[in-house]
Amino acid sequence: MDNNIAISVKNLHKSFKLPTERAWGLKQAIFNRLKGIKGYKEQKVLNGISFDVHRNEFIGIVGRNGSGKSTLLKTLAKIYFPEKGSVEINGNLIPFIELGVGFNPDLTGRENVYLNGALLGFSNKEMDAMYDEIVDFAELRDFMDQKLKNYSSGMQVRLAFSIAIRAKGDILLLDEVLAVGDAAFQKKCNDYFTQIKGTQTVILVTHDMNSVTKYCDRAILIEKGRVKLDDQPKKVADAYKKLWD
Amino acid sequence: MAIPNFVYKGNRVLLKELTKTDFKLRYQGSVLGYLWALLRPLMMFAILYVVFGQLLRFGGDIPHYPVYLLAGTTLWSFFTECTNQGIQAIVTRGELIRKICFPKYIVVVSATLTAVINLLINLIVVVIFALINGVTPSLTWLFVPLVLFEFYCLALGISFLFGAINVKYRDITSIWDVLTQALFYAVPIIYPVTMIAETNQTAAKILLINPIAQIIQDVRYCLITPETITTWNYVGEEHWFWKIIPIAITLVFLIWGSWYFRKKSKKFAEEI
Repeated sequence: MDNNIAISVKNLHKSFKLPTERAWGLKQAIFNRLKGIKGYKEQKVLNGISFDVHRNEFIGIVGRNGSGKSTLLKTLAKIYFPEKGSVEINGNLIPFIELGVGFNPDLTGRENVYLNGALLGFSNKEMDAMYDEIVDFAELRDFMDQKLKNYSSGMQVRLAFSIAIRAKGDILLLDEVLAVGDAAFQKKCNDYFTQIKGTQTVILVTHDMNSVTKYCDRAILIEKGRVKLDDQPKKVADAYKKLWD
Repeated sequence: MAIPNFVYKGNRVLLKELTKTDFKLRYQGSVLGYLWALLRPLMMFAILYVVFGQLLRFGGDIPHYPVYLLAGTTLWSFFTECTNQGIQAIVTRGELIRKICFPKYIVVVSATLTAVINLLINLIVVVIFALINGVTPSLTWLFVPLVLFEFYCLALGISFLFGAINVKYRDITSIWDVLTQALFYAVPIIYPVTMIAETNQTAAKILLINPIAQIIQDVRYCLITPETITTWNYVGEEHWFWKIIPIAITLVFLIWGSWYFRKKSKKFAEEI
C-alpha cells in the first residue's frame, strides 16, 4: 500500500441479520423452518463504500442517523468484520467509538486510566509516559485517587476525552465526542484540534457542521450506506444541510 | 494470528489489568473482603462435614477424612466458580466487546484466573489443615500442580465452548447451573469411592472416567493418602484405555472449545 495512505477502504459491504418478531422461541423456530420462513430480516447497512484517507489528514464523516456511519467506524476499528470488500489500515489505530469504554465506577481515576489504556493496547510503561499529560489536560490532578463514582459526569467525560486525544496512536477515530465539558474545556479542545490539524490522522464522525468546516481537511457524506459526497468540508456541510430541506 | 497473540505484550498487559480489576472488585463493599474467598469453601466444608461426616458417617475408615473432604470441596468450588465466571465472561463484558477490538479470549481467561487465584489461596488452607491433621508431607505433593493444570484446562475448555454458545443462547447459564448440581453428586466429593465400589465395581469405574473425579482423586492421592482410589489404580491393566479417557475428555473440551470460540468470536460484537 502507498505509504502516504493511512486507511484504504474498498467496496465495503456489511449487513446485519435482524431477527423478526416471529423468530423467537423454539416452537416458532421449528415452524419457520418447516414453512421456509426466514426468521430474520437482512438489513443492508453498508452498500459498497470506498475511500482513502491520507496520512495526517483530518477527515469528517457526516450523515443522518442510521446512514451507516457508526457501522463504518466500527468496521474501521475492526470490531465488525467486513462482509465484502476490504479495509486496510497503515499504522496504529486508536478507536473511540464511545468515551470511557471500560470505565468502572468502583475504580479510582488512576486505575481507570491504566485499564482504559490496556484496552487500547498500551503497556503500563507507555501509559506511565502519557499519564501526566492526560491528567493535566483533564485538569483532574487532585481527583485521580478518588473513585470514579464520586466524579461528576462532566469530570468523567473530561478524563475519558483526555485519554482519547492524548493516546499516542497514528490514527485517531472519534465518534460524536466533541461536545464535552464546560466552556473552558471546550476551548481547550478547540485549541488542541487546531494544533494537531495536519500532524495527525483523525477521523471524526459528527453532526456538528461547525466542527467539520473548522477542523477537517476533507469530509465524506454518507447516505444509505453509500458515499454520497467526498469533497471539501464546506461543500459537504452544505449538502448535509440540504438533505432535509 | 491467534496463537502468537498470546505472547504479544499488549495482550498480556490487558489480561493482567482485567484480572486485577476483577479480583479487586469481587468483594467490593463487603466488610470481610478477600476473606470471603477463604470463608466460602470453608463454610461449605463445615456444613458437609457435619451432615455427611458426623451425622451420616460417610467417612468410614478413610484416614484424614476431614482433610479429604476439604480438598474435595475446595476443588469443586474452584470448578464451579471457574466455569460460571468463564461462561458468563463474554456476556458480562458485552459493553466492551461492542466498543473496542481486542482478542476476546482474554476476557474468558481473566475471568477464570480470578478463580485460580482463589484456588491457590484455598489450597494453602488445605495444606495447613492437612499438616495439623497429621498428614506427612511427601514427594507426591509435587504432582499436585500438574493435576491442577489439567483441571484448569478442563474448566477453560468448558468456559470457551459454553461461553461462546451463551452469547446467542443465554439458556446455557441456567443449563450449566443445573448440570453442575447434578455433577456434584456424580463426583466422589462427599462420599468415598469405596462406598460405590463395594456394591458395584462397574459403576465405580464409570464414575472414575469423569475427569473431575479423576482430578479430585488424584489430588487426594498425592496430597493426603496413597490409600485413595484413583482412576489409574482402580481400573485393571486389561482396561488400560480407561485410564486415558479422563485426559482425552479434557483435551477434547480444550481443543474443541478453543476452536469453536475462535470461530464464533468474530461475530460476538454483533450478536451480544
